[in-house]
Amino acid sequence: MTGGGKRSRAAFPVLAAALLGAVALSAATGPVPISFRAAFDAIFRGTDDTAARVLLSLRFPRALLGALVGGALASSGVAFQALLRNPLADPYILGVSGGAAVGALTVALFLSADASPLLPLCAFAGAALSAMGVFLLARRRSGVSPERLILMGVVVGAFLNAVIMLMVTLAPPGKIPGALYWLMGDLGLGTPGRVAVLFPYVALGTVLLYLLSRGLDLLLLGDHAAFQAGLSVERVKTATYLTASLLAGSVVAVSGLIGFVGLIVPHGARVLVGSGHRRLLPAAFLLGGAFLVLSDTLARAASPAGELPVGAVTALAGAPFFLYLLRRNGRRA
Amino acid sequence: MGRVRITVARLVLAGFLPALLLASAIDRPAFAADRFPLALKDDRGVTVRLAAPPRRVVSLAPSLTEIVFLLGRGGSLVGVTRFCNVPTAASGLPKIGGVSDPDVERIVALSPDLVLCTTDGNPRDKVRALEEIGIPCFALAPQDLDAVFTAIERLGFLLGAADRGRAEAEALRLRARLARPPSDAAEKPAVLFVVSTAPIIAAGEGTFMDELVRLAGGRNAAARFSGRYPRLSVEGLVAARPDVIFVAGMSDVERFLPEVTRWKEVPAFRDGAVITLDGDLVTRPGPRLVTALERVSAALAEWRRSRPKAPAAGAGGER
Repeated sequence: MTGGGKRSRAAFPVLAAALLGAVALSAATGPVPISFRAAFDAIFRGTDDTAARVLLSLRFPRALLGALVGGALASSGVAFQALLRNPLADPYILGVSGGAAVGALTVALFLSADASPLLPLCAFAGAALSAMGVFLLARRRSGVSPERLILMGVVVGAFLNAVIMLMVTLAPPGKIPGALYWLMGDLGLGTPGRVAVLFPYVALGTVLLYLLSRGLDLLLLGDHAAFQAGLSVERVKTATYLTASLLAGSVVAVSGLIGFVGLIVPHGARVLVGSGHRRLLPAAFLLGGAFLVLSDTLARAASPAGELPVGAVTALAGAPFFLYLLRRNGRRA
Repeated sequence: MGRVRITVARLVLAGFLPALLLASAIDRPAFAADRFPLALKDDRGVTVRLAAPPRRVVSLAPSLTEIVFLLGRGGSLVGVTRFCNVPTAASGLPKIGGVSDPDVERIVALSPDLVLCTTDGNPRDKVRALEEIGIPCFALAPQDLDAVFTAIERLGFLLGAADRGRAEAEALRLRARLARPPSDAAEKPAVLFVVSTAPIIAAGEGTFMDELVRLAGGRNAAARFSGRYPRLSVEGLVAARPDVIFVAGMSDVERFLPEVTRWKEVPAFRDGAVITLDGDLVTRPGPRLVTALERVSAALAEWRRSRPKAPAAGAGGER
């Protein structure tokens, strides 16, 4: 609840504009040349030529997918950082990514190639199972402590990583490139269908987290203080944990493991609007979406050798961006 | 028509091959005796010395295994990689691991007197470890079709089958010449060779597939992207507009996703000109590259035939 007031109110229009600008830039970038006029006709007059179809069924869905994925990862990151009271927590810390990867790779590597509709489902099932497993392992009669959650998450994550490596080693060679790209994070198949699959999960998850925002504020004060303030601590923790895992798991299912967004965007958003969750959650969603869409545009435009996986770009661009934010913030304080 | 030409080529070969064998035996008596001891420089610049024709050979690449069998020296192989499946006899041989992960200890246990390896697939430090133990290693790294033919001749020399090597190489050169399109085939279809369909990874410049396309009278649609194996987005594929697509599948069934093939802006999807080739055929720098060239050439000839004689301006670049 620091840094509220004028600065935070001004931040929202800026963030919304940033997201819209990122989507527009993304839609304007690609190997098929599309004139401004052709784009205008495609959007407002419903023309049906190559330019229109590229714009409407490839570029916009991909940008939308990027916005949803980035927003969901950032929101989930905010929730995990509050839940674990740890600024280094991210959506993948509790074995969510490992579980999703094992689920998805089982389908992609060892079942028929035509089973791709199964992939998101299995990735989500894997994420949910490992998240539940970690939660149950960490639970004691006295409740769930952040330390035990992190410890269990790291152990389960390491185990699942070993399973992933084994699976990739044993995979039929022709299927390895696809699996590796997916593991690096990839928005390459942003189709309207996938956006439609992801949207309900992300909408549900973000709304639930927003409803939990007062609880998240109180959790930051510590379990004891939160309890004294009238919060049913365990219930809020469980709800937060499951919701954040749902967000991260559904995103991983559609776009693979995109690192760094869930870790750094929450910090960036905190610099802009402070740490009150009613502002922080929407700000992180907008910033995360804009960041990922820009990263994906860069991934498509920067490399002459076809496309880069967006996960590589988020990490490359993310770290310096994070340092810049931290230093700028330090100067102001 | 393409099939007819290949049959003609086979007939010609059947007549030529014995003649070539005979001719090479008479022409170059220096090779006929398979002179040992010999010293031969490999593609790393390392000179390999052999006192006698090797009797226990380990091959660290499927292409090299194929060549050894082609030279009639399959009987000398005591170890191959787990990917060596051609000819069938190769699959029964003891396995020493993979191309990128050969097991040094297993190789040493086979006490080979020669190890055949490649510079671009096998790890250098493992080859060096073998050499330090005192096992001669001969490395080959053919980068184009001609170099593959030369490699066959060199291996023939090395394995004490010099005549056979020269004859086989000459026969392959002849087949490769016959597979090329007639010089009046002016239309060059845009060809995309993909090694993976999801994600779409194409063969760019500097690959054998690029050379096959050029030799068969096409132009590589992936040349607009840099890198040897560029990854294409669906939009990149639409922008490249290939007339013919070859899928070099490593697995048995490699198909494009329906959300990719519905782009009828791509002539190859519109006309159904998507052809699956055995991935081994085009990625292994061995004798079967010529078979691949024959198939690619036949497919492009088919494309030219099915095409109405359009004014030259219609070829490609409409946008």
